[in-house]
Amino acid sequence: MPRKVLVVDSVHKTYKGGVYAVRGVSFTVYEGEIYGLIGPNGAGKTTTLRMIAGLIKPSKGSITVDGVDAVREPFRARKLVGYLPEEAEVYSRLKGIEHLKFYAELYGVNNVDEVVEYGASLSGLGSRLYERAGNYSKGMKRRLLLAIVLMRKPRLALLDEPTSGLDVYASVHVREVIKKYVRETRSSVVLSSHNMLEVEYLCDRIGFMYNGRIILEGSPKSIIDEYGVDNLEEAFTKAIEEFRSA
Amino acid sequence: MLRLPRYIRILLGKELLDLSRDRKTLFTSILLPLTMLPLLGLVSLLLIAQQPVNVAIVDLDTSKYTDPQLGLTVDSHWLVGNLTHYLRSYGYNVSLAESLEVVRDPKVDVVVVIPPGFAENASSLDRIAHVTVYKKAGYQAASRAESLVYSVVSAFSYNLSRAKIAALLEIANVAASLQAIRNPVQALTELVSVVGERVSFEAELRSLFARILVLALSFVVTPAASYVIDGIIGERERKTIEFLMVSPAPLSHIIYAKMIAATILGIISAVFDAAGLVLYMFFMGLVYGIAIGIIVDYRLLVLHAVTAFFTILSTITIALPFITKTRGIRSASNIASIVTTAGLVFFFTGFLIDYIKLPPHILYPLYAIPYVHSILAIQAYVFEDPVRSVMHILLLALVSLALLIGATKTIDPEKLLVAPS
Repeated sequence: MPRKVLVVDSVHKTYKGGVYAVRGVSFTVYEGEIYGLIGPNGAGKTTTLRMIAGLIKPSKGSITVDGVDAVREPFRARKLVGYLPEEAEVYSRLKGIEHLKFYAELYGVNNVDEVVEYGASLSGLGSRLYERAGNYSKGMKRRLLLAIVLMRKPRLALLDEPTSGLDVYASVHVREVIKKYVRETRSSVVLSSHNMLEVEYLCDRIGFMYNGRIILEGSPKSIIDEYGVDNLEEAFTKAIEEFRSA
Repeated sequence: MLRLPRYIRILLGKELLDLSRDRKTLFTSILLPLTMLPLLGLVSLLLIAQQPVNVAIVDLDTSKYTDPQLGLTVDSHWLVGNLTHYLRSYGYNVSLAESLEVVRDPKVDVVVVIPPGFAENASSLDRIAHVTVYKKAGYQAASRAESLVYSVVSAFSYNLSRAKIAALLEIANVAASLQAIRNPVQALTELVSVVGERVSFEAELRSLFARILVLALSFVVTPAASYVIDGIIGERERKTIEFLMVSPAPLSHIIYAKMIAATILGIISAVFDAAGLVLYMFFMGLVYGIAIGIIVDYRLLVLHAVTAFFTILSTITIALPFITKTRGIRSASNIASIVTTAGLVFFFTGFLIDYIKLPPHILYPLYAIPYVHSILAIQAYVFEDPVRSVMHILLLALVSLALLIGATKTIDPEKLLVAPS
């Protein structure tokens, strides 16, 4: 039985005025697994990822990362987690290499130089790493940020829309980095995406989120087979219709 | 030696590296304070020299009269000559006019009228001679010309009174000191220190220097407050804060690092501000012939830098809890403006009022305001009470640190992450 790296159990998040963002989400991610959270805008994907990352507290429920209670001990859990927010940006006046060094030191890694070197190779930015990040294209910035998240090999990487707004070339690079990283490190990844082809290519299992809940879970192939459709998009549409009518 | 916690050290390193490449912030924090005051002094001096002021003298008397009793002669041309000489030597354009019509000339700023009978009245023993000055209202340079006319007339009057006294003494055949009759009672001021030791006139200038330093505190808190706003709310808007907040560094350490960077920026600004003031005083010294070394007290400059450090810290800690709850940079800037304006009010009053002389029932309640300690730290030093100066610095430091700890405890990370709606 593979080791459980992330256990999200009946997690709720309610904002002021009783507005629900997440209602009783539960899922488990195993070692070396890529788990995809997919769903329309406002489904609660980002809130769920932020709660796992310890940025916001759940109103109810528990989150455990590699045996550490992420709600009670968020700082301990953060050392095990790497999080790439959807709209993360770089410091325009710092060079790419300075970003890698700064975050390596901030996370207190043992061998900063080795980690920075690994981060540099993950980014694929080569000599451009010695330029100020303000001059980078969106794709280059995303590659740098992904490298920062993955360079210290966290037990769990949370990637919110890792290829959002990127061109085809940059998207392919990012996907390859994620795939290779999981294969080499046996770390786990939770990613959110709107790109069903990407999800199908990358994810071992997926959770369909809708209206703050996970309404469907399984491997891409099993879901497609279950609904008797050609692709995940069609399966997703059917799942939402079923949920609404129920 | 004081060693900062690891996270603060690393975060501060990043902040300072970023700051060192932020030319706009550095320009406003270093170059402006350094150049503003000297530039103000230089430009003022240059413009004053270039500003044309037209003075017309109308001599309606044009006579010479000798008083038969005294045998004293007064000529109205003498006063015209004196006025023309001194006004021209100070750079004013002087012209002689025939009639009072010149008052209506918009190009003429000051008109000096010597009325008919001037010489006769001035030389007599029972009448007073008058000179009328017409000054265009609301024109500063005209006021300076008017002041010079009064000085020349006063000197003319003084010499005339001495001549009259001398003539009277001769008639009466009495031996007397001219000065004893002209000024039988005189007031003399001796400048002394708080402990009664004689001090020179430069001590007054030193006090003025300290007052300007108090006022200058208001200029250094503003860039520091802007930097903190940009550091916190700006990071949220530029989408860099979430990536930072997910690190194992506690939020308080992220805030502390930004605060320290802002205060370092503020202290740099304060040092350059003081350097600018020294340059300004240097130019003023050149004009008034005073050696700059006598006026500038370098220990006072160090005190100013330390005071500026804690003043900035207290300003940004007062504003911090409100800044982090705002929707964007604009509302955060408004809040910071309120705090810095409050500071400006106190520093301006510190320029005018000796807080140190306020009665205890007014002063002690004011101790609750950090800016009052900033003012008192500098004023106590000027009034030669270094112990009290240090006490106020320590109180200011304590208040700043208490505010800093309190402010970071009130910050809600979720609100910092997502702008309140």
